[in-house]
Amino acid sequence: MRKRTLKRCLTAFWWITLVFLYLPLAVVVLFSFNASNSAASMTGLSLRWYHQLLGNEQIMAAFGNTLVLAICSSVIALVIGCLIGYGMYRHRHRKLGWLIVLIYLPIVLPDIVFGISEMAFFVQFHRLTGLLQPGLGTMVIAHVTFQIPFVALIVYSRFVGLDPTLFEAAKDLYATPVKRVVHFMLPTIKPALISAFFLSFTLSVDDFVISFFTAGPESATLPIYIWGAIKKGVSPEINAIATLMIGAVAIAAAISLLFSRKNQHSRKRQS
Amino acid sequence: MTDLTNAVNTTERLDREEARVAAADAAARGKRGASSIRMQGLRKQFGRDSIALAGVDLDIHAGEFFTLLGPSGCGKTTLLRILAGLEEADDGQLTIGGKDVIDTPPHQRSVNTVFQSYALFPHLSVRENLAFGLKMRGVAAKAREAKVAEIAQFIQLGDLVDRRIDQLSGGQRQRIALARALVCEPDVLLLDEPLSALDAGLRSQLQVELLRVQKRLGMTFVFVTHDQDEAMVMSDRIAVLDDGHIQQVGPPQEVYERPANAFVARFMGHGNLYRIHRRDGSRLSTEIGTLQMDGDSQGELVLMRPETLDLKPGHVEGPNHLPGTITERLYRGSHAEFRIRIADTTLQATVNNRGRRLPDVGDEVTVVVAPEDLVTLSE
Repeated sequence: MRKRTLKRCLTAFWWITLVFLYLPLAVVVLFSFNASNSAASMTGLSLRWYHQLLGNEQIMAAFGNTLVLAICSSVIALVIGCLIGYGMYRHRHRKLGWLIVLIYLPIVLPDIVFGISEMAFFVQFHRLTGLLQPGLGTMVIAHVTFQIPFVALIVYSRFVGLDPTLFEAAKDLYATPVKRVVHFMLPTIKPALISAFFLSFTLSVDDFVISFFTAGPESATLPIYIWGAIKKGVSPEINAIATLMIGAVAIAAAISLLFSRKNQHSRKRQS
Repeated sequence: MTDLTNAVNTTERLDREEARVAAADAAARGKRGASSIRMQGLRKQFGRDSIALAGVDLDIHAGEFFTLLGPSGCGKTTLLRILAGLEEADDGQLTIGGKDVIDTPPHQRSVNTVFQSYALFPHLSVRENLAFGLKMRGVAAKAREAKVAEIAQFIQLGDLVDRRIDQLSGGQRQRIALARALVCEPDVLLLDEPLSALDAGLRSQLQVELLRVQKRLGMTFVFVTHDQDEAMVMSDRIAVLDDGHIQQVGPPQEVYERPANAFVARFMGHGNLYRIHRRDGSRLSTEIGTLQMDGDSQGELVLMRPETLDLKPGHVEGPNHLPGTITERLYRGSHAEFRIRIADTTLQATVNNRGRRLPDVGDEVTVVVAPEDLVTLSE
């Protein structure tokens, strides 16, 4: 009897948690379809704010920036992070203590510290060399920096989960170094790469603080635009942007999760 | 009537099958020229003080089933890895089929390995695993398919080729790994304890299969194992390794019956080694008693193999008759093992169970050994 009550309480607790997490999101999504421009009352459903979004050049530019930034930084981070992950795997038997800490540091460092240091660096660099004017370029560099550790760790953990003799089997079966990469390593870690790409993508789209400090006048992303617009009050338009972002990030995160599951699954099967 | 017809048909079919297999074998042998291996002064050291190979000289003949036998850490796997090119020797010469390959990277050696963990690629199907080596060598897709089909038939993989790797059992993986190495038609096939992960029944079944494949192809096989029974069943010749040195090379019978030293004797499972105190011509005075040998002998130890000993009830006098008491009996069905106390030491004897009464613990017996069955050796 008491066990059942406890179980009911836990179930209730679970639902309350979900409500706390997702009710605010649901409100945003709901009001993005509001027919009136009052944030207080729903008068009916309409796609009016979505239409308005499409007509707003600033928003479309910010949307474009966000997409370009996310794709470019994720691709670059994927290449560099993949190489680092493989390097960590190859030299895993050596004492790499402080090097590993350096890889992890950007993950635990507060974004604001990271953003300010990036900004200070870019300003000084620009002053001295005339290169790297704040804009999309600097933002891509900043994003790549914080995405790399995630990619490296995902790739590393995939390699560690493999039977080390697979590398030798590839050599033994006449694969040259290039063919080993193309026909063995890349196909084997493909799920990890896809997962890492979409995680990087999500991180980039989500980021506000670091983008804010490294952006130039022309390179506002959606989070930066929202932050600027919100000073004038929450408009239904922002609800629509937020809804679209929730959708995009949810899809990317779902893909990342799906492939990291697949990654773990194939590893489990192997052992 | 139908039964008879069926039986006749079956026999005919079997005959035809046999003829087809023989023809395929002849073709396979003609295609693959077996290669010999020559190793001279191979040395390998890991770190500062771990010597894996301390100068190994070894000749492996073309078409031979050769086994590297030894306890773990004896250097046998290192030697195999040097043959494969996966490990570089610090010093020494290595030729395979007359070609110097010491500096050849593994992907350029016509040598394939069956790994202990099988090392099948998880991202590929069985068929793609089988074709991997051919693909890397640049064999066209059509020819690859034909070769994979041929090897699948040869190893009798049946419908296994259409499975995923994770759908295979240990024994099936082992056979796929073997087929994947054989399909490349290497000069030499290396096998790194390929059966050690399998249970006893499957293991002996695959031992037979492996042996059959090797005889049919006439390919040079180098097999690594720590199991002396397996080594004896499979090999044309065995090299026993310990501590980076080759202790003895020879056919199984020779290694088992005439071990070159005490290490080989103990590793082949012999426990009855006794110190020789004094020599008087062919008469040996040992810690277990006085023994008469055939002719002269060398070395400070004498070996009495348990299965060469006869047990007589009671204490009987005579040459090479050793009186003792049974302290332990292990009944094993087909035979029984006895531990017998003689003088101040113990002796093991194996007696075949031929239906006669087997002695019991506490019985007084006399152990009789023929002079020609005694072997002397050094530490």
